[in-house]
Amino acid sequence: MIGEALAMLHAAQNRDGGWPTYHGRASNTECTSLATLALARLDAGERAAADRGVRWLAACQNADGSWPLQRDTRTPSWTTALATLTLGSIDREPSSAGRGARWLLRQQPRTPGVLASVLYRVAPHARVVELDPELRGWSWTSGATSFVEPTAYALLALKRSRSRLAGVEVGARIEEAERMIYDRMCRDGGWNYGNSRVLGAELWPYADVTALTLLSLADHRDRGENERSLAALQRMLADVDSGLALSWAALCLAAYGQDAAPVLARLRRAWTRTHFLADTRSIALAVLAMSDGARAVAP
Amino acid sequence: MPGLHRRAFLSGALATTALASCSRPARWDRTAVHQPSRSRVAIVPATEYDDRLAEIVLRGVRMFGLDVARKTVVLKPNFVEFDPAGVVNTHPALVAAAIEAFRRAGAREVIVADGPGHHRDTEHLLIASGLYTVLRDARARYVDLNGDDARAVRVRSHYTGLDELYLPETVLKADLLVSMPKLKTHHWAGVTLSMKNMFGCLPGSIYGFPKNVLHWAGIAESIVDINSTLPVRRFAIVDGIVGMEGNGPIQGDRKHCGVLVFGEDPVAVDATAARLMTIDPRRVPHLAEAGRFLGHLADDRIEQIGEPIDRLRQDFKVLPSFAPLKRFA
Repeated sequence: MIGEALAMLHAAQNRDGGWPTYHGRASNTECTSLATLALARLDAGERAAADRGVRWLAACQNADGSWPLQRDTRTPSWTTALATLTLGSIDREPSSAGRGARWLLRQQPRTPGVLASVLYRVAPHARVVELDPELRGWSWTSGATSFVEPTAYALLALKRSRSRLAGVEVGARIEEAERMIYDRMCRDGGWNYGNSRVLGAELWPYADVTALTLLSLADHRDRGENERSLAALQRMLADVDSGLALSWAALCLAAYGQDAAPVLARLRRAWTRTHFLADTRSIALAVLAMSDGARAVAP
Repeated sequence: MPGLHRRAFLSGALATTALASCSRPARWDRTAVHQPSRSRVAIVPATEYDDRLAEIVLRGVRMFGLDVARKTVVLKPNFVEFDPAGVVNTHPALVAAAIEAFRRAGAREVIVADGPGHHRDTEHLLIASGLYTVLRDARARYVDLNGDDARAVRVRSHYTGLDELYLPETVLKADLLVSMPKLKTHHWAGVTLSMKNMFGCLPGSIYGFPKNVLHWAGIAESIVDINSTLPVRRFAIVDGIVGMEGNGPIQGDRKHCGVLVFGEDPVAVDATAARLMTIDPRRVPHLAEAGRFLGHLADDRIEQIGEPIDRLRQDFKVLPSFAPLKRFA
């Protein structure tokens, strides 16, 4: 499977060195980061493609340290965390990675305002969406509220970059974001996009987001919330056969010292059925999972 | 600015806001106006998700004399979450029927495209819902609009304060965009039908999950601005065979309605579908506003063909805060 997946990654790489979500589309930061991360850890032949990915990332970084979704949009995006994580993990372009991390630290997602905060303190269950509105993680876009997935990416990036941020206060920001994530955990463990309870009704977690989020919290593996969420992930995996979810799950289980082999076997079977819809993101993550990549991303 | 938010329902001011909308100044460009003298909407009975559906859909399409010969048709179903009860999403059997119907009508290509609002794991959603099997068997192309290339398009009405919207190339290049929503109540918007379904055209990679930027800009406001800005010919097929009542769009209850609704005017289609749910469309903020310039809301401006509405009307439950929707003015 990994040979076919690598061939698809090579075929999808654009002339500009970046990767698109689907073959033939424009390169974007998310897919370029993940494909670069996956390939840079393999042999020399694969690293040449990764080198071109690194150059694409370096060329696309905005002056303020952020990365846009695509080269021509320029607007800072959530993908900054993935680019920072990748460059930090493979130890390339340290200056770019450092500027990306500093940009992340400057971001302050929107909060619902004073009234919402007061209402939460007085009557937390009266809010339509039950979460602590004051806890800040990271948002999908500037000026929006915190959500789980961009926060998990930012945590992975910052925990990797700590050593490059000498003299910068990182711990408090990380700690608040972790509290935000735990605040949004679903009742029986796991996470969805970011709301665990709306209008009094419990929402259910997603396997891919749960595995990613657990990965970002792997330095707290003994916490009860992590253990419940790992158990929730195992339950969810019984019903999930996608490349994205199985890849994140394999990386997560490996990071927690659990046996990822059964999930990797399912990942190989899933590949033969769908080729992950030729989605670069899933293919790159699968290559990472198949090549013992947990150490490249986990804190 | 006059809000179209859910809080209007809660304050009881909604009826005044919606019904007095004609007296407010226009907030749209001249290019956004699309109101024929009358709009036609077809209500067609369809009791089950079975192999008769393709014929029914083709009949519905032919009622409008749609010329799709050698055209690219993009079907935009409503896929939100995996739902084992099969109530949240447009039923895959209806998508299969629409693929077949538009091919039989001569379309050069029928593409299925969506940008699910909650899930980034499109592969899981397709497999678990059964849509993957439909697409594979029909050899139909699927485009995940959340990851599609997107282009900025100037907004043609001005409710959100956004100057431009990023729209996916697959949608912009379509000759006909077919909105295929589920007939559902919605806990923020009142109803989710062909117009609300267009949220799924906006890429989540840009707008976040669950299209968070648009929630902050106002859901009703965003619905109007998206629909006024899409520069593509439109058609709608509402999946009302089994709908959802109560706490929609994902946690409501199953409601069998046995109907498909067809039409070219999204406002008229949604107004008719709302009436089928015994909901007054004039009390749904985004419909009331869209009825001023994007299509027809008033029943004397809608030529209803197919089955009479009274024969198929159902009493859809709504959350208590939406009770005003059930009071017909």
